[in-house]
Amino acid sequence: MSTTIPPTPTGAAVPPGADRPSAPAGPPSPAPGGSGTTAPSGGAQPHSPAEREAAIRRVGAELDRALPRPSRSPMAFAERRAMAQLMDDPELKAAVFRFVDVRPACADAPALARHLAELLEDAEGSRLGRRGAKMASGRGTRRLTAGVASVGVRGMAQRFIVGEDAATAVPGIERMWRDGAASTVDLLGETTVTEAEAESYYARCAETLRTLHDAAQTWPAQRLLEVDAAGPIPRVNLSVKVSALTPLLRAHAPERGIAGATERLRGLLRIARDTGAHLHVDMESFDTRESITELTLRLLSEPEFQAGPSAGIVLQGYLTESPEHLERLLSWAGSSNRSSPFTIRLVKGAYWDHEVIDATRHGWAPPVFQDRRACDRNYEALSRRLIDASLTGRVRAAIASHNLRSIAAAAAYADEVGADIEFQVLRGLGDETMQALVKTGRRVRCYSPVGDLVAGMAYLVRRLLENTSNDSFLSAQAKGTDLDTLLEAP
Amino acid sequence: MTFINEPALELRRAEVRDRATAALADLDARLPIDVPVLIDGRPAPGTPFDSVDPGNPATVVARVQGASAAQADTAVAAAAAAYPEWSARTGHERAEIVRRAAALLRSNRLGAAALAVRECGKPWADADADVCEAIDFLEYYANGAAAMDDGQPLLQMPGERNALRYVGRGVTAVIAPWNFPLAIATGMVSAALVTGNTVVFKPAEQAPACARLVVDALHAAGVPHGALALLPGGDEPGKALVAHPGVHTIAFTGSCAAGLSILETAARLAPGQRHIKRVVAEMGGKNCVVVDEDADLDDAVPGIVASAFAFAGQKCSAASRVLVHEAIADDLIERLSGAIATLQVGPAEDFATDVPPVIDREAQERVASYVDKGGAPAAQAPAAGDAAADGGPAVSSDGYYARPTLFVDLPEDHPVVTEEIFGPVLAVQRVPSIDAACEIVDAGTFALTGGIYSRSPRTIESFVRRSPVGNVYVNQPITGAMVGRQPFGGGRLSGTGPKAGGPDYLLQFVEARSVSEDTVRHGLVV
Ligand SMILES: Cc1cc2nc3c(=O)[nH]c(=O)nc-3n(C[C@H](O)[C@H](O)[C@H](O)COP(=O)(O)OP(=O)(O)OC[C@H]3O[C@@H](n4cnc5c(N)ncnc54)[C@H](O)[C@@H]3O)c2cc1C
Repeated sequence: MSTTIPPTPTGAAVPPGADRPSAPAGPPSPAPGGSGTTAPSGGAQPHSPAEREAAIRRVGAELDRALPRPSRSPMAFAERRAMAQLMDDPELKAAVFRFVDVRPACADAPALARHLAELLEDAEGSRLGRRGAKMASGRGTRRLTAGVASVGVRGMAQRFIVGEDAATAVPGIERMWRDGAASTVDLLGETTVTEAEAESYYARCAETLRTLHDAAQTWPAQRLLEVDAAGPIPRVNLSVKVSALTPLLRAHAPERGIAGATERLRGLLRIARDTGAHLHVDMESFDTRESITELTLRLLSEPEFQAGPSAGIVLQGYLTESPEHLERLLSWAGSSNRSSPFTIRLVKGAYWDHEVIDATRHGWAPPVFQDRRACDRNYEALSRRLIDASLTGRVRAAIASHNLRSIAAAAAYADEVGADIEFQVLRGLGDETMQALVKTGRRVRCYSPVGDLVAGMAYLVRRLLENTSNDSFLSAQAKGTDLDTLLEAP
Repeated sequence: MTFINEPALELRRAEVRDRATAALADLDARLPIDVPVLIDGRPAPGTPFDSVDPGNPATVVARVQGASAAQADTAVAAAAAAYPEWSARTGHERAEIVRRAAALLRSNRLGAAALAVRECGKPWADADADVCEAIDFLEYYANGAAAMDDGQPLLQMPGERNALRYVGRGVTAVIAPWNFPLAIATGMVSAALVTGNTVVFKPAEQAPACARLVVDALHAAGVPHGALALLPGGDEPGKALVAHPGVHTIAFTGSCAAGLSILETAARLAPGQRHIKRVVAEMGGKNCVVVDEDADLDDAVPGIVASAFAFAGQKCSAASRVLVHEAIADDLIERLSGAIATLQVGPAEDFATDVPPVIDREAQERVASYVDKGGAPAAQAPAAGDAAADGGPAVSSDGYYARPTLFVDLPEDHPVVTEEIFGPVLAVQRVPSIDAACEIVDAGTFALTGGIYSRSPRTIESFVRRSPVGNVYVNQPITGAMVGRQPFGGGRLSGTGPKAGGPDYLLQFVEARSVSEDTVRHGLVV
């Protein structure tokens, strides 16, 4: 079978969910037409831009109402205040992040106290930092301060991490499942610089797939999470990083990374196929995009994977070339003869600062949008294109964002055209968004990192930086920006 | 004119790599390149020799005419004759010419890089960086020379006008290395020219075609033929230049032994010599990376590998020692060993190559002898070709390859630990503290580059304060200094301490002249 996926004229579609009930609902009926057709029939009028904007506001407001109220969760409130404070105190923020970063490398309490005191001392312009420095270096308060800071960091890390390893992660993942949210597990670890490290990451992935497979047998049925318009959805879902599967990724020689990771990724695809799991390949820095994309598509084209597993890849909407990249993925999916649809997770991209710094240092034009609004507009356009394509049944659309506007735009459009899509959030950052999505009857999957404290810390630092960057939706939300502004068209 | 670094080629894009490969094919079709002795713009024959591709010595890159001592004499005379006219021009005029040379190189970016790939075995990214740095030097020194026209502000009294002007010194002999065949040659030659000196340029024996490319660009840009002569060859023309009474300044980059011998010769007054020679020397290094117990090994390991093995360790700035805190030494050694085992040794033109060949047979033998002395290595990369995938360029068994090698816990006075190897060999030693590491660094004879991986602000501060080296790098690789960003050069036996690509560099090539005029006539200031 070979089906290409031509662009759909936006809006030419059925709007069964245009007036979506806000109570939890089952999956919408399968997209009409089935695979092989592109524009779904139905005869409904395409929405005008104004109607579309109104629908986005409606869905956004509905999600906002479904968010847990901060007052009901005093801890979250305190944390939000602390975060807001950090955002206004850049020197303290730098000190805190540097402390979080070095925390796992401190062998003992004195080492911790020393680092904390040094870092806070350097936050000269910060009143709080100076107070902290005194406490962290004072005779009587030194141990206590370091202890509290250390426990604080551990606590923070635990919010972002679901368990130290697959076995300890299972209860948390099952709880989420029972509460109506699916998960995808991500194994944290050191940067892979040796073959031994790649091998150990591979072994942990393999072991995780098996552990989750066994555990998931006893989970109760969750219709919304297990079937969509394109068919059954695996309960077990693992996200993998190609950079962890090989030390050979080279920006100038994509084939080396591909060769280095092929056997291990193939092995994981086999286990996923044999255990009925979904395997998702994360996207990383621009330097590795070509290797990751080529490797994934090549392996999935192999005959042995024709019947499975369910698999997917990530598209980063912050890349200015992302529209062309999406077409490449769609054209591959359309002409592939795999039996399960290809999941495309649409994200903005987690390496924005890195890409800008790296490009600027070399004198290149950054490969990413430099204007937030342009990035968000592109994300919405990609969402529509991906959602249209999902109507063929050849691809699944997964909208991964914590931005209420981006989510609402995708949700409203999916409702308009009658597409059955999934939303994804990150554990720790998107917990509340996840609850709202569950409450409003949307399918949601939580990206759930697993790993020890050392491995978790680098991840935690990245998430914290993202969360407190002035450019992020979550920080605008935490500062109490009003809903109309939050939902403004980019 | 504000200075910005020339953007690197974006080799992570396939279409850019394709253009690079096409440029190399173009070059290959034109090989070998003729490199004559060039005095007053007239090519002259000499003692013929070849420069070859280090990855495949059967490929002759250049057919070269080696200059004699007598030709060095002629060249100095020609340069002396050209000096009055060239030095009389303003800094602005000379800067314009030098900027034109930058533009010419810029229009031949890929061709120039391809030549460095072929003649010196520089992998593409390094070869391209070499071209960019050459362009940067031209632009940066052009700015500096133009600014020199304004002199320096001085105290002024009523009726007295004071000025400080900079003038060229005379004939400059430039003796350049092969490891940055375009950048360092261009930097030294253009610094001398743009400040009003005339130049006799003796390039490395291994890089004559690159040298000719630089000289051609400068001539084409408008440097008078007499003001820049090219003397390819080995020791003979170099020695003759250093001893020559007509040479005023010697700009040298190369080995410590050669540098010391130049300093000695230059200090002796030759018959007929009426000035003191100035020597601007960049010599060797034995560069250390210090790793603290709180370092992030995820950064340190790739950083050390890049510093030690990129371009097969043949950068003066390359890391050859690691001093690691004993608390994390085992971890570091294990990960470093594993990372070295992933390195692919192969031809420079293969984009998949991590470590290219070393420059020549002699270098290959030198590296091998140190590896022998080191005993059982802790880790070694596979031999050239062993790790290569099918479909890449062929790996010649005659190429001057050397396997990246790691030694651990050698005695403090072992030659591998103390001597400059200039190849892909790295020695790791454990230290009980960062203070102890600082003492070891301080006991060294070289002081070029050095680095530390640490996350303690006080430890970093103390390391930076105690480090004797010219270029300190914190939590990053210790090679790849950029013009205008990390002015480059070291002290102790690493050189006379000019900072190439920095604001003070041009001062080495000029004399300052103070002019004071009484403007009072008949008791009035007029
Ligand atoms: C389930 C899940 C899986 C993910 N997987 C991946 C993955 O595989 N690979 C990956 O790279 N990321 C991945 N991400 C991370 C995702 O890219 C970040 O969470 C995301 O960048 C945050 O976007 P947002 O829509 O939630 O927030 P928003 O606040 O709306 O957007 C923030 C993002 O906008 C972009 N941005 C910031 N400043 C600017 C600017 N000045 N101009 C233009 N753009 C700017 C950046 O990408 C930044 O992260 C994943 C996220 C989720 C939820």
